[in-house]
Amino acid sequence: MTTLVDVRDIEKSFALRGGGSYLALKGIDLEIRKGEFVSLIGHSGCGKSTLLNMIAGLDLPSEGTVLLDGEAIKRPGPDKMVVFQNYSLLPWLSVRENIALAVDEVMGKIGTSERDALVQEHIDMVGLGPAAAKLPLQLSGGMRQRVAIARALAIRPKLLLLDEPFGALDALTRGNLQEKLMQICNEHELTAVMVTHDVDEAVLLSDRIVMLTNGPGSRIGGILEVDIPRPRARLEVVHHPSYYSLRSEIIYFLNRQKRVKQWRSRPHAVVARHGLEKVNLDLGFLPLAASAPLAVAEAHGLFAKHGLDEVSLIRETSWRGIVDGLVDGTLDASLMPAGMPTWMTAGGHGGTPLPIVTPLTLSRNGNGITLGRRLAEQGVRTVEDYRAYLKSHEREPHTMGIVHEASMHNLLLRYWLAANGIDPDKDVHLQALPPAQMLADLKDGSIDGYCVGAPWLDRAIRDGHGIAVAGDLAIWPGHPGKVLGLREDWANAYPNTNIALTKALLEACQYCADPAHWAELSELLSDRRYLGIKPEMIRFSEASADVDRGGPESEAAVPHHLFFGEGLNRPSRTEHLWMMTQMARWAEIPLPRNWVEILERVCQVGVFSTAARELGLEAISYQRQGIELFDGQAFNADDPIGYLNSQTIKRDFSIAEIPLASPRRA
Amino acid sequence: MVSVPQPSAGSSKNPIRWLMLNRSTWLYPLLGIGGFLLVWQISASLNLTRLPGPLSLWTNERTRELLLYPFYDRGGLDKGLFWQTMASLGRVAQGYLLAALVGISAGITVGLSPALNRAFDPLFQFLRMVAPLAWVPIALVIFQKNQPAAIFVIFITAIWPILINTAEGVRQIPQDYRNVALVLQMSKGRFFTKVLIPSALPYIFTGLRISIGLAWLAIIAAEIVMSGIVGIGFFIWDSYQQNYLSDIILAVLWIGAVGLLLDRAMAWLQSRLTPGQ
Repeated sequence: MTTLVDVRDIEKSFALRGGGSYLALKGIDLEIRKGEFVSLIGHSGCGKSTLLNMIAGLDLPSEGTVLLDGEAIKRPGPDKMVVFQNYSLLPWLSVRENIALAVDEVMGKIGTSERDALVQEHIDMVGLGPAAAKLPLQLSGGMRQRVAIARALAIRPKLLLLDEPFGALDALTRGNLQEKLMQICNEHELTAVMVTHDVDEAVLLSDRIVMLTNGPGSRIGGILEVDIPRPRARLEVVHHPSYYSLRSEIIYFLNRQKRVKQWRSRPHAVVARHGLEKVNLDLGFLPLAASAPLAVAEAHGLFAKHGLDEVSLIRETSWRGIVDGLVDGTLDASLMPAGMPTWMTAGGHGGTPLPIVTPLTLSRNGNGITLGRRLAEQGVRTVEDYRAYLKSHEREPHTMGIVHEASMHNLLLRYWLAANGIDPDKDVHLQALPPAQMLADLKDGSIDGYCVGAPWLDRAIRDGHGIAVAGDLAIWPGHPGKVLGLREDWANAYPNTNIALTKALLEACQYCADPAHWAELSELLSDRRYLGIKPEMIRFSEASADVDRGGPESEAAVPHHLFFGEGLNRPSRTEHLWMMTQMARWAEIPLPRNWVEILERVCQVGVFSTAARELGLEAISYQRQGIELFDGQAFNADDPIGYLNSQTIKRDFSIAEIPLASPRRA
Repeated sequence: MVSVPQPSAGSSKNPIRWLMLNRSTWLYPLLGIGGFLLVWQISASLNLTRLPGPLSLWTNERTRELLLYPFYDRGGLDKGLFWQTMASLGRVAQGYLLAALVGISAGITVGLSPALNRAFDPLFQFLRMVAPLAWVPIALVIFQKNQPAAIFVIFITAIWPILINTAEGVRQIPQDYRNVALVLQMSKGRFFTKVLIPSALPYIFTGLRISIGLAWLAIIAAEIVMSGIVGIGFFIWDSYQQNYLSDIILAVLWIGAVGLLLDRAMAWLQSRLTPGQ
């Protein structure tokens, strides 16, 4: 397909009143192919309408050019017709006259009868025959926008530009018009660019979705290809497997933009106080029961007690948000899945290694594997049943939900599947989903099951949408769950803050581990700032849970979440090596040849020991030894490569040297 | 809630009943006007003022004749009130039309050019504050004759609201309509007839409606000081000189009625010419 519109490195700035200028867009490069439908999406004021206006020629870029069919766009013209958000019909002309006016202007040469036929054809196309003689004010918003579309199409533009065309319409009218527009675009093979802020509209109509970051200096933050086949129907696209991932991708992008904007709007000068290098911290967390230590440290003033006066907890909806927050520096530190520090350090995030360190393991256990009711009804109750089920339903897609590839849920689920003879990539498909969405997907049967942390694992079982097939206590009792993670360069710049933060959270962990506090914790976490769900949904012990997670009988009385205790909180090199090895096994990261150095740096045992000693808690500072999971296979921490080679179900793993900048000692 | 069907006000067929149901619409205005006339008549009868009471329209024989025979014409200045009014209206028509013509064209020119607007707006704002009577001596000096001077006073009084409103109307053409014209690459002429004029029309009419009232006020003022012409303004002045006080009251009634009619006529024209806006 040939390129119709070529936006080449444009930049746009507006002069401001009282001097100065505002940079709206910067470095925008975009090629639009003939016959393509492209949406521009972004927050208000991100410059998406400005970009559209420059393609329309209503505005000229400050730098760069926009080409239409190879010619620079210098002024507006009928070959690039615009459908404006507020319709822009001339209110003193009837529907027919409005369309005729455009036809007369643009196609002055054609005869009267030909003209009338053309106008009538387009009135009929948008189904406005009975209203042709009416004035725009006598029509509803939806009808007016149909007139505007008919007017635009009647002059046969090369390119149709739509500026939030359905923004002012009610949901029902909008849906009908979207289908109409799609049908017309398909029939006439139109090339169209649409500005919208409606995520579903973008996914439904577009071939590609261009996401713009927030201004000033907005740029293209990402382009999504929509691989849903045409013709599309509004009610059917939602069942396409790509629909929700595209949708959540856009929503994630927009939320991320919002977060960055909020972050920018606050002051960020480093505040040093009480002998600490930085006391104003933004700590990330996800709404999970394992976030309890952070909530406790905030609610009980433990941060302030250790000198960290200005700590804000930032709630993200997905681990991806945490990763991005650490990458762009909007977060100082964060709760994170245990596998994430080594995963990011080894370049799991987009292939660029970013050294992340952890001075503290915050929680252990708290996970479970759930299968949907649909499977339970077909007799699937154990992993053997599931393996048999997969064999007999080979043609159907089998998806299981995980929260992040570096989380223990993924690693445990894969380990469990593989140990039971199910290849976690070939026999099923594992997809990263936000925890809150998994339940909905399990309900409508688009996933077979999931592995997720509390409180989300209980929900499905309590609501009767799924059954527990394996608890984490049965797979690896006491496995690491969540850790405190921060950038290595941050830790080097603020060493005393790092220790203070570790102390505050370790003390909070101690508080969380006391069964006497669990009722209070449930109450605290149910607050809207943290989880925002009913307190009875948040449980910390097996004994109090009224559901059977399938764990061994003897363990039913132990606390499910482990927050504090001997060998529980100290970062363990062996465990991180196990996780790194598992991630290498599934080709999520290469196995670092310099794994010894990486583990030395990721596990900040020194910081932990200092914090524990200053709190008078030396007793817990002992190293757990040996890792053995339910299948009885030993993990030799001295020979991860030998371990990987001995696995039957695995991907083609690679071994690579991970280049790390030499650690800077502050 | 159970809704009980009730006869809505004004729906009754019986005229007496209709009057009773809608008495608030006629009773209060009637009481107000009646009360005002009564107080006036009493104060006149008690000789609190030299101004005759409203009854003098009928009791004064000369005035009664003027009231009953508005169409007589004995030549010279001695004409019925209808002809007097028509003469004044004729002058208003000329001055007003001229004002409309110049005002609309100048308004469009100024409205289209921000530079011209900035240059002349202070002048317009200043001139529109000058009272019609103040123009009379200037007009007489310029034209030396009553008739053109009177028309000039109308013109100069009526032009400002038209001009200023037209200019505002042109400035207020929505950017959307301009964008449509740009995208369709409309010629200047087509833009003028298809977009500019229809879009600015409501503003132009607002100006025209304000001006017709002002023009009518101005003509009375102008005629009063221009002796020896047929016109309702001079009629009042002449009656005053000859102490025919009840005649003045009658003339004032004519002036008020004609002014009201002009305003209504303009409103009707506006509603006809700018549908749906």
